[in-house]
Amino acid sequence: MKKNSGLKKLAPYVWMLPSMILMAVMILVPIVTVFQMSMSQITKAGVIKGFNGGANFKAVFASNTFWHTLQNTLVWTVVVVGFSTVIGFIVAMVLNQNFRGRKIVRAIVVFPWATSLIIQSVIWKYIINADYGSLNVILMKLGIIKSAVNWTPGANAYFAWECWIGIFVTVPFVTFCVLSGLQSIDDTYYEAAEIDGAGFWRKLFEITLPLIRQSLTVSTVLNIIYVFNSFPIIWTITKGDPADRTHTLATYLYKLSFYSGRSGQAAAVSVIGFVILCFCAGIYMILSLRAEKEDQ
Amino acid sequence: MKKNKKELIKKIALYLFVIVLCVVILYPYFVMFTTAAKDRSEMYALEMTVLPLKWKWSNFIEIWSAAPVLRYFLNSVFVAGGATCVAILCGIPAAYAMSRMQFKGKTVFLGLVIMSQMFAPVVLLVGIYKLMTTLKMVNNLVGLILLNAAFNQAFAIWLLRGTFLTISPEMEQAAKIDGCGMVGALVRVLLPMAAPGIVTTLIFVFINSWNEYTMALTLMSTDTLKPITVGINVFYGFNMIQWQYLFATSLFATVPVIILFLCIEKHLVAGLTSGGVKG
Amino acid sequence: MKKILAMTLAFSMVLGLTACGGSGSSSSDSTTAAATEAATEAATEAAPAETEAAEASGDKLALDVIISQYGNYTQDWWSQFEKDFEAENADVDLNIEIVSWNDLYTVVNTRISTNQAPDILNIDVFADYVADDLLMEAEEYTSDELKAKIIPSFWNANEMDGTVWALPILASARALFYNKDILEAAGVEAPPATWDEVREACKKIKEYDANIVPWSLDISTDEGQAAFSYYTWNNGGGFVDADGNWALNSAANVEAVEFMKELIDSGYVTADPYTETRYPQQDAFAAGSLAMMLGPCNLYDLAPDINFGVAPMPTNGGNASVQMGVCDRLMAFRDDEAEDPEARTAAISKFFDFFYDTERYSDYMVFEGFLPVTTDSGELLAENAEQFQKGGGAGEGNSEYFATFCDMLSSCNFYPTAKAEWNDVKQGVINAEQQICQGEDAQSTLDALQDEIMALAQ
Repeated sequence: MKKNSGLKKLAPYVWMLPSMILMAVMILVPIVTVFQMSMSQITKAGVIKGFNGGANFKAVFASNTFWHTLQNTLVWTVVVVGFSTVIGFIVAMVLNQNFRGRKIVRAIVVFPWATSLIIQSVIWKYIINADYGSLNVILMKLGIIKSAVNWTPGANAYFAWECWIGIFVTVPFVTFCVLSGLQSIDDTYYEAAEIDGAGFWRKLFEITLPLIRQSLTVSTVLNIIYVFNSFPIIWTITKGDPADRTHTLATYLYKLSFYSGRSGQAAAVSVIGFVILCFCAGIYMILSLRAEKEDQ
Repeated sequence: MKKNKKELIKKIALYLFVIVLCVVILYPYFVMFTTAAKDRSEMYALEMTVLPLKWKWSNFIEIWSAAPVLRYFLNSVFVAGGATCVAILCGIPAAYAMSRMQFKGKTVFLGLVIMSQMFAPVVLLVGIYKLMTTLKMVNNLVGLILLNAAFNQAFAIWLLRGTFLTISPEMEQAAKIDGCGMVGALVRVLLPMAAPGIVTTLIFVFINSWNEYTMALTLMSTDTLKPITVGINVFYGFNMIQWQYLFATSLFATVPVIILFLCIEKHLVAGLTSGGVKG
Repeated sequence: MKKILAMTLAFSMVLGLTACGGSGSSSSDSTTAAATEAATEAATEAAPAETEAAEASGDKLALDVIISQYGNYTQDWWSQFEKDFEAENADVDLNIEIVSWNDLYTVVNTRISTNQAPDILNIDVFADYVADDLLMEAEEYTSDELKAKIIPSFWNANEMDGTVWALPILASARALFYNKDILEAAGVEAPPATWDEVREACKKIKEYDANIVPWSLDISTDEGQAAFSYYTWNNGGGFVDADGNWALNSAANVEAVEFMKELIDSGYVTADPYTETRYPQQDAFAAGSLAMMLGPCNLYDLAPDINFGVAPMPTNGGNASVQMGVCDRLMAFRDDEAEDPEARTAAISKFFDFFYDTERYSDYMVFEGFLPVTTDSGELLAENAEQFQKGGGAGEGNSEYFATFCDMLSSCNFYPTAKAEWNDVKQGVINAEQQICQGEDAQSTLDALQDEIMALAQ
């Protein structure tokens, strides 16, 4: 009997074993390597020479580009996640209505999500090109503009486009998370509220939002992580150019590693990004644990 | 009368919104499609047109012989399908434990699972390559499956745990009393009930793996082992960019995912309804 | 106990399924069915990979070769090469990978970091590898016959600290390509020979048809250093001074980069100089929507539909016109763990002798449209390139092309790739160009770059 209870204690860990092994081997091992590299001297060709203390971090912090990149990364994450969440929420509200063709629209909303980011980025790069891009052609044919417009005159314009593409591909995910939340809300809540004479906004804030809080939190947390680390959009559109003004941490460290031959510094940037995300996750965990306690 | 008018305006506004939404979303695909059907010479012509001057449907056929596109497709299906299976098969027991059992370090595990998502593959590239070299899995589709499965583990566990939490454990208890073991209860009772949530997870993982690029790019150097996202680069090569082939292939690469999605849309919405993404 | 056993069984099933595949649509309540189906699929799918691996691990000496992608058909040519080579050398197993330039540095760098460097690599740089002592000396594997036929200036271009570390694989010359019809219609009589004439010609073309882009400029991360060379060299400046020391902030260079900015600000160039590589520009030139471009010699073949001419690059301040040459390399990596170093070196040697064989090498040059770096192939192609076929069935070679450009090659300037800081300089000038064209002060930006490079050099 005693033996059995000991095994019982062990059981949950056994259940989690395959998952944990998979993650430990495939993710933890590379993470350890990155930490190691961030504190090693690495030659331009990529040979790892040995421990060099905090020299990589020092070099990263001393670079102006890094600070600008950090700022970009925050703007990028906040703008993309923020707008996607708001737009995705609105789209979900609309898709939750009953109207003809709802099924088709729902399928269409999935398109950007089902297409690989590389392809999305390439097509948008092709669209916004001022010389042969499709946007100018179509706007000129429609008579909206007279002559070709240069949509990307400088770094800020490029970055704005990149944010737009980021939003474009992130909205579907939010939409479907919110939609799931919306559909699990019992209609009786609304009926009751309507009897009380509640208007649209009151229903929104007092019923809808509180009830889909969970879905929104999940999509926001996952999005923050994904968008923060997002690579293909910016890399395909600008590679961080002009003059390294449109980097986020992910593209910056890629360029450091594979173009500038500074893998050590690139690893240091990875670690810095990780610390930032951990910090955010910490805040989230504290908040969600508190919420869970309240729920109980 | 007044109420009807208000309803009508509401309806019109709704349709307007939906139409604008669809136009914006479909626009890149429209461009992709029309460009894919253009002749190469039209790509940079002085007088650009929206539609091809001459629809060159043969582009959609030529790609299959211009590069081993079919092979790339099969590789993608294999990798995404395999990663989905592994991710789900590892994820279900873990999510089950996390939703049904009390044990020490549960929160820590959940935290670790989220943390594992915080390094994007691009950040870990060298580490991953090193690991795969040690495991002798460079240029190996199975290696890519395991990686994709691992990077989607957190996602799978989260979604599955959420689904399981919404299902009352009473049914399983009953099954256990009926003589089912824990595994039996899981397989016979919980899984069928959680099916919609599991389908949701399947789709999420499948799409993520289908679209993965950076790891496949560095790990798969043998031409015949490349998935479509990497293989497509042959049209984006050194001397010229074959936009028409690039986009034709891209369309083909997008279609299966969308069809797959349409097939299970019903399940998906139901799955989401059952609180599939409840954290 | 029974429970635990059942669970372990379930998990071993899961773990055993690491090679599972199948369609993602497999519904959840039939996981086992999906698994079986997947396993069968896995078996069939994984089979080719396994056989390949088995082959490589045989008794044969395996050579990993990375070749960069020069065209759409590069893979085809090298697949044939692999077959031919292995037919003749049964003891060597070649494993040739074609990698696109977009990914080349990522792939090579990652492989070096993980001690998986290829045996033979085709790339444009080599100084960083020399610095890490990764390369074999070229003399070790170059046969006397081969050395004798490589054009001496190309052989010497791979020298660092008195040792030659790589072999030239092919070269390309850059010159001014112009669309004769557009220039004539716009009233430009001759291709511009000076920067002032460039300004004037661009203005006329713009007035003639606003849809035509008069001039091209690529200062992207892809190849921004080329633009730096075109303009600084033709203004009496450049990367280095007469003694071969870095001189990035000379007055001539400042003026050259300011000229680039002027071209952008006047709207004479394509709208995306920061991110658009020269490849779309080449296509635009070939389609007749770009009037002039400083481009590579193989543009000659890429623009069959238009009436174009080739002229020397325009210069400024009375300097003589300087054309740019580009030379890519083949190099062999050291392998201190090789089981039989002598056999390995011999195999590498065979590879090079086989590749530079007059016929085969000439064939490759015609196939890709680049210029040969060996005297025998140069002579053959200048007279009789028609016997070889271009890649992708684009027709036969053109002797006139090889005669013209091989001749030009002898007077070209090349990048200072043999200097240890070259990679930093390359990234640095691209960044400086972009900053200056975005409005930063040219002199101070280049001063800062010069200081940074000098600090590295010490």
